[in-house]
Amino acid sequence: MSSKKYLTSVLKTLVVTSSLAAASVSFASTLTVSSPQDPGSWDPIDTFLVNWASVATNIYDGLTYRGPDLKLQPGLATSWEQLDNGTRIRFTLRQGVKFHNGESFNAASVKFTFDRLMGDEGKKGPQRSNYSAIDSVEVIDDNTVDFHLKAADPVLLTKLAGYGAMIVPPKYIQEKGEDFFNTHPVGTGPFKFASYEPKVGIKLEAYANHWDGAPKLTNLNYRFISEPSTAVAELQSGRVDLVIPPTIPIGMITTIEKDPNLKIVTTISPTVYALRFNTQNGITKDEKVRKALIYGVDRQAIIDSILGGQAAQIASFQSAISFGDDPTMKPLPYDPKKAMQLLKEAGIKPGTKIQIDIRGNDATFNEVSQAVASYLQMVGLNASIQPYETNVLLNDIIPAGKTGEMFQQSWGGWTLDYDNTAYFMYHTGEKWNPYDSDLALDKQLESQRSITDRAKREEILKSIANYTANRALEMPLYSLNAIFGISKRVKNFTPVPDSRLRLTDVTVE
Amino acid sequence: MANFLMKRFLQAIFVLLAVTLIVAFAIRLTGDPALMLTQGAGSVTEADLMLIRDALGINKPFFVQYFEFLKGLFSFDFGRSFMGGTPVSDLISKSLPATLMLAVSVMVVSIIISIPLGIKAAVSKGKWADQTIRIVSLIGLSFPNFWLALMLVLTFSIWLQWLPPSGMDGFASFLMPAFTMAIILTATNVRLVRSSMLETLQAQYIMVARAKGLSENTVLYKHALRNCAIPLITYFGLQFGSLLGGIVIIERVFNWPGLGTLAFDAVSGRDYPVLQAVITILSMLIVSVNLLVDIAYGLIDPRIRTE
Repeated sequence: MSSKKYLTSVLKTLVVTSSLAAASVSFASTLTVSSPQDPGSWDPIDTFLVNWASVATNIYDGLTYRGPDLKLQPGLATSWEQLDNGTRIRFTLRQGVKFHNGESFNAASVKFTFDRLMGDEGKKGPQRSNYSAIDSVEVIDDNTVDFHLKAADPVLLTKLAGYGAMIVPPKYIQEKGEDFFNTHPVGTGPFKFASYEPKVGIKLEAYANHWDGAPKLTNLNYRFISEPSTAVAELQSGRVDLVIPPTIPIGMITTIEKDPNLKIVTTISPTVYALRFNTQNGITKDEKVRKALIYGVDRQAIIDSILGGQAAQIASFQSAISFGDDPTMKPLPYDPKKAMQLLKEAGIKPGTKIQIDIRGNDATFNEVSQAVASYLQMVGLNASIQPYETNVLLNDIIPAGKTGEMFQQSWGGWTLDYDNTAYFMYHTGEKWNPYDSDLALDKQLESQRSITDRAKREEILKSIANYTANRALEMPLYSLNAIFGISKRVKNFTPVPDSRLRLTDVTVE
Repeated sequence: MANFLMKRFLQAIFVLLAVTLIVAFAIRLTGDPALMLTQGAGSVTEADLMLIRDALGINKPFFVQYFEFLKGLFSFDFGRSFMGGTPVSDLISKSLPATLMLAVSVMVVSIIISIPLGIKAAVSKGKWADQTIRIVSLIGLSFPNFWLALMLVLTFSIWLQWLPPSGMDGFASFLMPAFTMAIILTATNVRLVRSSMLETLQAQYIMVARAKGLSENTVLYKHALRNCAIPLITYFGLQFGSLLGGIVIIERVFNWPGLGTLAFDAVSGRDYPVLQAVITILSMLIVSVNLLVDIAYGLIDPRIRTE
């Protein structure tokens, strides 16, 4: 009897301790993220929104991977070599990887992914054009694929780390259909899909079998909140742990910093701002005038006062982390005397009118442009600001060449390669280049596109940067930081410059 | 009555046609959704854009697109969102209930507060109770609702942490958005109830009712209220319509997953099918509320029924 009693008590303790242990192990840690936009579909080929990537980088893997340090690493491919002058790339694939639905990852999934992207399904979406260098994907064996390219694309390996190049499960899509896949994504990434409510949020769960190890969080929830003050209120009330860009405006930084439970984390981003010039008509046709305008504006003062220091001056139209940035280039200094002298030499009378076109909904840039206008006022020009609805300015005014003497251009691009900026801003006939045509510049822009030698290419990109700055094709203003608002409970968070958040190391206390 | 309803029904169809036509036409003036979708892409060629336009169906002539839209209406098929290709009817079926629940709770809160207060003010005309109610409602009327919303969030979500600052998640999440909208409606409604009550109270049948020795409450709530209900119902009905319009701002501030949020995103994304659907649904709602108001007249006032 007593031995029986003894046994039961031992058993009881065992049960209690083991359930305690289980409880401490399975103690769920959830991170809730506020993201400003619902992309509507989680299919990699359907979207170009950065906020698609801030969720989907956790769900999918690409052949290559690029983390917050911006270095290209192996992803689902363990190695690759460029063959035939860069027109063929051979990838060796990682073995033993499984999609979240249990399907095996192999060469056939890679072929399926890119056939789909370049085929009928991809034609409906905006991603295909980015990968147009790919001619075909050939399966060599189960773990080897060859990418045959129409022409060498030096940026392709980077592009394979994101967006349209995310590897998708063939069987799952064929069985469940495209529509189902849009709202029930499956990949090989560190988090698997749990549930999605359009316009409300998406929930992910840790995928313990990820090839790079299980993530530390058990649940990762995203809520779509577009209004900045609402997102910040959620952060302050503790219902959201992380607010990702582009949400928090400069003006709200102090509100968050004052809160003892919260902090602001920032990092340099690829987003750059410039006021570009109409180089075809009006007073800005004259290079001297363009330089005078740049000398006339104290860009550092604008950064310090209006942008709260969350920006850095730029000398060409790219940020310091862009491939092709020349760190030896210095922005033209603020020198109003020189500006007035140059204007005089160019024969510009005091009081000459100059118009600056901006996006009306960008409150921060509104202030910046007003500061620019008053600096220009001080060197004797009569500057006025013309705000447009963003889409009107981007799609109707700029491409049609209907801007004033100066117009706002904000530019980013997750590949962080200056080609993605310079080609579209300066090459003759491009949509974003309604005014200028410079054959020497065109040649340089074209030449770097077929070179796979990184060092050589970087030289050309740097020389393009110098060339455009010498011609003063725009007034380079600043690169803006990516601003994250975060609860102090969140540990090990590394801000990313390109919105491609992968939250595998993050923990929540 | 049947004749009358038939007439109103035909009117409603005409209104719907006009509204949808204008909306479908106007949103297409705002620009090309294909450009919008590929804004971040950079290397997009005109050929790529054509493919996307084909897929979205915006290469077809305007009237073909419009008639396809009308045809879809009969089977509640509004096409697919340009953002991600979700069927619009799916989006609507999630956000319409959210908006309606919010709008109805706003109306209920507002009516429950404003009728007794309005009657109290009318009965005690010129006395301190009347003055207080009038001044307080004037203050309520002068609040811009987005400001009020932010102040409530600051107080109840950030300082006191009693209520969730946004989202639709249980009863607690209804309180702030409903109260914000209701406080402004109530301010108007109290004044309306008061003035229409004052008019009614001077009628002879009220004097008769009082002379019969009926209790004051019976006089007020049975005889007087019923007689001044017609202008009130008309007004509440119209108010419901404008409420659905005004809810857009409140939905945005409180991140409410309703029609307003849907419309707001659709406008900024040039998502034609979604915007067309939201506007159609909203105008259907407003038209049917007005129709219900007309029917309610008949129920309340037998004189209209027999006409």
